[in-house]
Amino acid sequence: MSVTAPPATRPATGGPDLTRAALSGRRRFTNHLATAAIWGAVLLAVIPLALVAYTVIGKGAGVMSLSFLTEDIPNSYRREGGGMAPAIIGTLVITGAAALMAIPLGVFGAIYLNEYGKQKPLARVIRLMADVMTGVPSIVMGLFVYISWVLLVGQQTGFAGALALACLMLPVVIRSSEEMLRLVPEELRQASMALGARKWKTTLTVVLPAAISGITSGSLLAVARAAGETAPIIIVTGIVFTPNWNLFDGSNTALPAQIFRNASTSFPAAQDRAWGAALTLIVIVLSFTVIARFISSRFAIKER
Amino acid sequence: MHPDREAYLVNRNVLSRRVLAGVALAALALTGCASNDNSTEPGSNSGGDSAYANLSGELKASGASFPDAYYQEVIEAFKGEAGKVTVTYNATGSGTGKKQFGEGLVDFAGTDSLVKDTDGVAAGSFLYVPTVAAPITISYNLQGVDKLQLSPETLAKIFQTDIKTWDDAAIKADNPGVTLPSTPIVVAHRSDGSGTTSNFTKYLDAAAAGTWKLGSGDTVNWPASTQGGEKNTGVAQIVQQTNGAVGYVDLSDAKATGLKFAAIKNKDGQFVEPTIEGTTAGLEGAEIAADLSYNPLNAAGATSYPITAPTFIIVKTSYGDAAKADLVKGFLTYLLNDGQDLAKEIDFAPLPASLKEKALAQVDKIQG
Repeated sequence: MSVTAPPATRPATGGPDLTRAALSGRRRFTNHLATAAIWGAVLLAVIPLALVAYTVIGKGAGVMSLSFLTEDIPNSYRREGGGMAPAIIGTLVITGAAALMAIPLGVFGAIYLNEYGKQKPLARVIRLMADVMTGVPSIVMGLFVYISWVLLVGQQTGFAGALALACLMLPVVIRSSEEMLRLVPEELRQASMALGARKWKTTLTVVLPAAISGITSGSLLAVARAAGETAPIIIVTGIVFTPNWNLFDGSNTALPAQIFRNASTSFPAAQDRAWGAALTLIVIVLSFTVIARFISSRFAIKER
Repeated sequence: MHPDREAYLVNRNVLSRRVLAGVALAALALTGCASNDNSTEPGSNSGGDSAYANLSGELKASGASFPDAYYQEVIEAFKGEAGKVTVTYNATGSGTGKKQFGEGLVDFAGTDSLVKDTDGVAAGSFLYVPTVAAPITISYNLQGVDKLQLSPETLAKIFQTDIKTWDDAAIKADNPGVTLPSTPIVVAHRSDGSGTTSNFTKYLDAAAAGTWKLGSGDTVNWPASTQGGEKNTGVAQIVQQTNGAVGYVDLSDAKATGLKFAAIKNKDGQFVEPTIEGTTAGLEGAEIAADLSYNPLNAAGATSYPITAPTFIIVKTSYGDAAKADLVKGFLTYLLNDGQDLAKEIDFAPLPASLKEKALAQVDKIQG
């Protein structure tokens, strides 16, 4: 039939020629220029990242070894050898506890804001407060926890550090999770309701799974940010030279604090340890990211 | 229902269970953590035995970075004597140390400066225990100049940036026959509250009276063009990395960093390099107060190095906890006896015998 002419053959006459060759010289030039500019921008954005990775790996790989990961921190800065095990354990335990506190609370908060609160006055206030909290410098959070927790309990603990980090993570988790929940199409909720599901069930079984991938990314950004915080850790957790698994008793330490301490000395041995700690921290944050991406891809709903 | 759709819903259910389980787990972990809070500390009921091996427990301390290298060395050695004791010294600077001691966060604090009313430590609630002394070096980094002599007046002018370049007439007058470059002077000082700053400025106040205008204290108002570093090691780092820089650093850190330091004109008009011998000479001339605070700065004597700083550990007069008091006593007794031998190896001056006896007697006054 003449109606279903094979689409491959272009009409010989009539319709416009859409091939590249038909572009005017000026347009082609503009096109190439724009492409080049975009590639240039990409390169420019990658350069600092690559330089950081190059420097940290170049300087940190030299000290990296199994003993670096498992040995205690030497008491004296100028002493060679030793490791960062207490700081690695501290980072894992403190950041982990902070994530356990901030992520559930933050996600619940976001659910309230997007599913229940909407534009109610309370929801608006919470939203505003979360935005304000995002802008609070980490050192202020450290001082807040120092005054409201450390002085109250009477000792510097890992838990105090976790509290400070949780305070820093909370607003990021709330705001990013809320954005992700907002992206879930209204039709999904309506369909679920139409099938007779209650609101809580709809939220838990339809809305959350639909947004889980985005929520994970947002929470992860918060965890990564918290893992690299230095100021509150130095103020509220004190220092240890041997591993301390107990969050609630005794001081603790974390990788960023050790990077700061060791890097601001004049001894090569300490500076090497700082580079090693920096590399360790980057690897830890990176592996967090990879694991979370993996989990969220397993959780995410394939069909939309 | 379409089979695909059914499978989808089943998946959803599994999913919801997973989410629920995750949330429940998180909540459990949280409550689990909270209940840990009440866990009792392991009570150590070991009696007041003088043998270190019987001691067990944990001591937390923070404060001066000036004697940090020495304390860490002693702590490491003490580990061998008392395996069940963990001592942690956090070099936060004297200012923070005194503050945390006042707040009860640490068991004892290291400080190079005496406690003031504004430090948050109640008068009469603490004792000074002198530990070691050490010279504060005037470390500098100036290409082509390996020997430098400075008088207190020149030093004061340099640190309050009245003198801006190394070839200034005042520096030339102190160093006859030395060719000085016109490199601008970069002054490095402590950015944190510091006993080293306190001692250094006190020295300038005394030795360069009339010239030095910034006063003295744990922190002073340095001119804006100067650079601040964290801890003694931070100042050492600035000096190490900047041509034309000059800063005040403890001898141990300066030597370990490989810095060059100036000879300073003492009270008797002699230019003396910072050495342990010069420090000991300065200690002998110092007058010791009843509370064991003493001031070896700007001491008389031809061989005395003038910028010699004492350093103290401040302890509570009463800990309200016999085990804690025994720990503090045990550690300090070790530090004042065996620990003194370690001092010279890392460029600190041990206490003269008479002062050491007084310090030990002071340690005995600590009550449980």
